[in-house]
Amino acid sequence: MYPDPDRPRRAGVIDLLVLCVLLGLGWLVWTRVSGVLAYRWDWAFLPQVLVTRSEAGGWRPNLLLEGLLTTLRLSLWAMLFASIIGVGLGVLATRVRLFARLLAFGYVGLVRNVPPLVFIFVFYFFISSQLIPALGIDTWARELGEGGQRVFGWLLGPPVLIENLLSGVICLALFEAAYIGEVVRAGITSVPADQTEAGKSVGLRPVQVLRLIVAPQALRAVAPPLANQFILLVKNSSIVSLISVQELTFIGTEVSVSTDRRFETWIVVAGMYLVICYALAFAFGAMERRSRRAYAR
Amino acid sequence: MKPFRIFAAAALAASSLWTTTPAYSQDGAKTQQALAQGSVIEAIKQRGALKVGLSTFVPWAMRDKEGELIGFEVDVATKLAEDMEVDIEFVPTAWDGIIPALLAGKFDVIIGGMTITPVRNLTVNFTDAYANSSVGAVANIELAEGLAWPDGYNDSDVTIACRRGSTPCAWLKKTFPKAVLRQFDDDGQVSQEVMNGNAHMMLASQPKPAFDVYENPDLLFSPTDEKIDPGNEGFAVRKGDPDALNFFNNWILVNRSSGWLEERHEYWFGGRPWADQVPG
Repeated sequence: MYPDPDRPRRAGVIDLLVLCVLLGLGWLVWTRVSGVLAYRWDWAFLPQVLVTRSEAGGWRPNLLLEGLLTTLRLSLWAMLFASIIGVGLGVLATRVRLFARLLAFGYVGLVRNVPPLVFIFVFYFFISSQLIPALGIDTWARELGEGGQRVFGWLLGPPVLIENLLSGVICLALFEAAYIGEVVRAGITSVPADQTEAGKSVGLRPVQVLRLIVAPQALRAVAPPLANQFILLVKNSSIVSLISVQELTFIGTEVSVSTDRRFETWIVVAGMYLVICYALAFAFGAMERRSRRAYAR
Repeated sequence: MKPFRIFAAAALAASSLWTTTPAYSQDGAKTQQALAQGSVIEAIKQRGALKVGLSTFVPWAMRDKEGELIGFEVDVATKLAEDMEVDIEFVPTAWDGIIPALLAGKFDVIIGGMTITPVRNLTVNFTDAYANSSVGAVANIELAEGLAWPDGYNDSDVTIACRRGSTPCAWLKKTFPKAVLRQFDDDGQVSQEVMNGNAHMMLASQPKPAFDVYENPDLLFSPTDEKIDPGNEGFAVRKGDPDALNFFNNWILVNRSSGWLEERHEYWFGGRPWADQVPG
């Protein structure tokens, strides 16, 4: 009576029908759009904004690829700092001490319930403009030697833009840390209390309980939501274009205005985000499968 | 003992009188010195680089095929830095946040085609004008062919587009209070809205409107030839810096008299001899 669960899966009539309907809808939307949109598509500018001839005669990344690199640097550094702060917040939130919990909940409550745009503006104009020049990184970066400049360039981009990138990184990290903190807190709470008690009863110190018993189990629980948060972080990094961090979205605006090729530019920019985020999702998926196999063994 | 006390008191009074009088002028000199030392001009010389805030805006500032900034603004800022004998650093900034960014010290001066308006002047100081702009109108042929300028556009059925925070937007609100106003982040989106027929008319700084009509004669036309809302563009600096204002003003004066400013303006705005430098 029931269909055989082991029968080979083939595309049936219904699948074909659904596919046809989808294609039809797509075609309908496209004809509607091209009827309304008065736009001459021209992709000829694209190679020029991706790469250009370098002084040495080779090729070097131009505007859009530079923007993509900046977005990658921005996201990776922000992920690192957001993870560190987030884990701290998550651990604090599960402590018995009231002060620790208040600190974590206060931060998460404040940052998570403020629109990202407002947070970024307040942070940029009030906090980062006081904090970052005081660190003196700008002068330090300018005075680096040739070798130092090269390493620095790979990790943090051109020295002239260091303050710019740094405000983006700190801003994004502080913002995302609140969400990561919540994920970590949920992960730690998901480990049954008897595990902790068992750990204590065999004489482990609190730090050892956290490190040897809670953390490994919590880590497995938080991996999928954490991956999700990292993907969100990459996409959210486009918001810092508003404080003029020279990342992909900001450069996208510049290119689209300079070349007057708006839709082409934005389609390419969207494609770049898609590729980064999909690659991230794939990498995290692979890591998860590997850890599951290792655990099963 | 008594006479001695009186003598001491008198001496004390005399000495205090003697020290206070010059102390005033010393304070004055100190204030003057502090003011000169605190000027952004000193900071620029010390750093060895002039940081200029600008926003992408054809042909004031845009990107060429090598990804470098070019445009009228870029020429002005580069020559300014050369004359100050320092390097030039451009800080491309989103137009919406360019004044807060100046106040927060992200750069020394805005050379960004910023039109002098009293409202902006309450927050920042402007130099004398180094360029004069005007605004152009572009309308959609299909929608606005029969509309009379300007009264036909002051109607609740008419939609007008402009760039958010720009001076044309303020002029539109004042001149066509009944029309529906749609505001976008850059001029590209504004003209696209008119080409698509979602807005009847748009206003933007010349020469973009002229170029738009030239490139799309079958879709767009200029509803008027009159010079709308002529504006004066100045450098914007932080308030309370008389030295910077004086220096920039006189730099503009010198380069206006020599004809350099006019020649550069003619190159960037008179036509498009620079078109093959831009990707596309």
